[in-house]
Amino acid sequence: MKTKALLFFLTFAPLWAHAIARIEADSLITKGTRAYAEGDHRTALVYFDSVATTYASASLFYNIGNCHYKLNDVPHAILFYERALRLAPGDADVRANLELARQSVVDRVNELPLFTLGSTWSELRGGRDADQWARRSLWAGLLFFVLLSAAVILRGAWRKILYGFSAIALFGTILSIGFASYRHQEVTSTDAAIIMAPKVDVRSEPSNSSTVLFVLHKGTKVTVLQQSNDWSEVKLSNGNVGWMPPSSLERI
Amino acid sequence: MNAMIRTSLLLLLLHLAGAMVAQEISFTATVDRNSIAAGEYAKLTVTLSNSRESFQAPDFGGLVVVQGPFENSSFNYVNGRMSSSAARTWVLTGTDPGKFTIGAAKVRIGNGIMQTEPIVIEVTKGTAKPSDASESQGQQRDSNLFATIALSKGKARVGEQVVATYTLYSRYANIELSKYELPKMDGFWAEEIDLGDTNWEDQLRTVNGLQYRVAVLKRQVLFPQRSGTLRIAPIELECIVNRSFFNRGSLVKVRSNVVELNALALPSNRPEGFNGAVGEMGMTVKVDRNTVKANEAIELTVTYTGRGNLKLIEAPQLNFPNDFEAYDPKVTDRINVTGSGMSGSRSFQYLVIPRHEGGFSLDPIVFSYFDTQQGAFRTIHSDDLTIEVTPGDGGPAAQVQRPNKMDVEVLGKDIRYIRTGDLDLEPAGKHLFGSMPWLLGMGTPALAFLLFLGWRKKQAADSADVVGTRRKRADKVARERLNEAEQALRASDRSTFYDALGRALHGYLGDKFAMGPAETAAANIKDRFTAFTNGEELAASYIELLEACDMARYAPVEDRPRQQLYEQAAELIRRTEQTARA
Repeated sequence: MKTKALLFFLTFAPLWAHAIARIEADSLITKGTRAYAEGDHRTALVYFDSVATTYASASLFYNIGNCHYKLNDVPHAILFYERALRLAPGDADVRANLELARQSVVDRVNELPLFTLGSTWSELRGGRDADQWARRSLWAGLLFFVLLSAAVILRGAWRKILYGFSAIALFGTILSIGFASYRHQEVTSTDAAIIMAPKVDVRSEPSNSSTVLFVLHKGTKVTVLQQSNDWSEVKLSNGNVGWMPPSSLERI
Repeated sequence: MNAMIRTSLLLLLLHLAGAMVAQEISFTATVDRNSIAAGEYAKLTVTLSNSRESFQAPDFGGLVVVQGPFENSSFNYVNGRMSSSAARTWVLTGTDPGKFTIGAAKVRIGNGIMQTEPIVIEVTKGTAKPSDASESQGQQRDSNLFATIALSKGKARVGEQVVATYTLYSRYANIELSKYELPKMDGFWAEEIDLGDTNWEDQLRTVNGLQYRVAVLKRQVLFPQRSGTLRIAPIELECIVNRSFFNRGSLVKVRSNVVELNALALPSNRPEGFNGAVGEMGMTVKVDRNTVKANEAIELTVTYTGRGNLKLIEAPQLNFPNDFEAYDPKVTDRINVTGSGMSGSRSFQYLVIPRHEGGFSLDPIVFSYFDTQQGAFRTIHSDDLTIEVTPGDGGPAAQVQRPNKMDVEVLGKDIRYIRTGDLDLEPAGKHLFGSMPWLLGMGTPALAFLLFLGWRKKQAADSADVVGTRRKRADKVARERLNEAEQALRASDRSTFYDALGRALHGYLGDKFAMGPAETAAANIKDRFTAFTNGEELAASYIELLEACDMARYAPVEDRPRQQLYEQAAELIRRTEQTARA
């Protein structure tokens, strides 16, 4: 009897732990939301941050970004908006706030405009859910095999029609796997970074004695090309490349 | 009718009589001077007007009557008004210096007693010279000519109105005011009261027994601007007196007394929206109509009425809806500054034009002031104002007026609000793509499909092998039929075995050829098997087997082992099944 109870506990303990952690996270978010509504942005940030250690979601990052913005920390606001946007490329709220936050960035590098391709494409690319394409690929695959099986069983005109449909499903499967892989790579890559230091010199070589090519200020977005010996090689969206210490940037 | 006329006549007569006695009775005592040198004379006159009663002489308080009393009476009838007066005059003198008080004279009028005011006469040594005790106060008081400043109250709140009256008292027959200087107001905001021309008042005023002609030079409404003791400097006058054709007259300088006002600060719990209004105030808010068509004007009037520093009231801040076009208010003052202070009304007239239809409500207008009567702040809220705007005229006769299209005005920029509720939390760093569940999800259908294909293939192969299939089926049939017999065989139950075997064979043949149990006789069996390829042999085997069963069932003879018999039966059924009917 005792062993049975222990076994039961061991089987369900992880599930329990997970559910409890989830409830705790939800209560932290409720507290954070209330603090934000009362104008206590610092407290709200603490609550949201503590949730962000174990959970991730576009909305959570968006809320953290808002807290940073309200606390006048624009670089961190941009960082979290970018993180939210990476999980949900089509999110209009995140885009609007990021646009506003970018206005207070000193450097005017030719940032890629946010609204080039329209929201339909963004929605298609992933909307608010990073795993959307992975899920779609599963469904498409299942549909493909079901259709194919049905085609194998049936005879005559039906068989031909079902073969046609299964070909479409196969195409859909391959496409969604492709998208899922692209999104996965996009979501997991940490190439992009935001400058956190108020001002940083970007040099031609990874050494302090080399020429200063240009100066960047906080809030500017860069792409990290490589990193070696306490130096990062960064690239601006206008194509300029240089070296800077990685301590003054934070990866998205 | 007659009686009525009589009564009215009587009433009229009574009225006339009332008018005759209604003249006010006055009883006064005056002296021509109140300061004499020893041995000089002062004249005391006691006058009783409009009464025939006789009065007693007052107590002269140590002064000696030199002459008198002289009696003098007069009777006037002017414009239907009758007046009379009787006066007695004494000439008094004092021998010793000092202050002497002439007591009150008394007269009995009806049931009451009227008295005059006591008069103090100062007797000095030697030559009489006007001396004044109040000299030390900076007051230069010629007993024939002096000026005073009087405040309506000695204590006031900051902003509360106080009326200051500047009065000139004179006993000279002839006086010219050559110049006068009003004191500078320090700590006050002063508002002049328009009195018109300066004139002597009709009535003489008695001050300390002396009769003066009195003129009010000026009146001011003063509003203390700060707390503390506020001093009003004396008024300075220069007069030329007794100028006549023969006389150049003489210049007399007069300074009035100094007055002080104790100004109290307002309580510190000032309500919001208080901007200095002090007094007794009221506010009314009026809209000329509550229902209006778009693009038509509304007049909103806020009126402050009352008593106090109305001129300090500023236009109230009204928050009109953004769709309203509001113009600066027109200020209309109906403020009177009189001897009782500043009172009246100040109104602000707003012209408002709603541009779009809808129901709008204006915030209540709030007005705070300090109520001097109650000594506390009071706040008045107007009622909620609702204005119903209906669509403007759009008829063919009316001029078509389209609202101007305008961009939505962006007044401020701020980030959008945070997300609330469910945030779609996912465990950090976990992605479905490439994970084990995803691989399983992709692999399982593929695997299932492959298995399905394999099964199909086997099915196809099996259906191609007809003989194999038939044998398999025959096996199955035999096994089913001989199931009972096999169990009995295992249990070594002899009678059950044979019984079951026999029943199985009979049953099988019966089912096969649709025969009843009674028809399964040897002849019938042979007959039915003729259609089979080697039917005779099969039929013979059946018959032989059935006989063997019967034998064993009813006689204790077993020529063959049961196992062999069982296998023979199975083989027979199998063969029957496999053998196609010709």
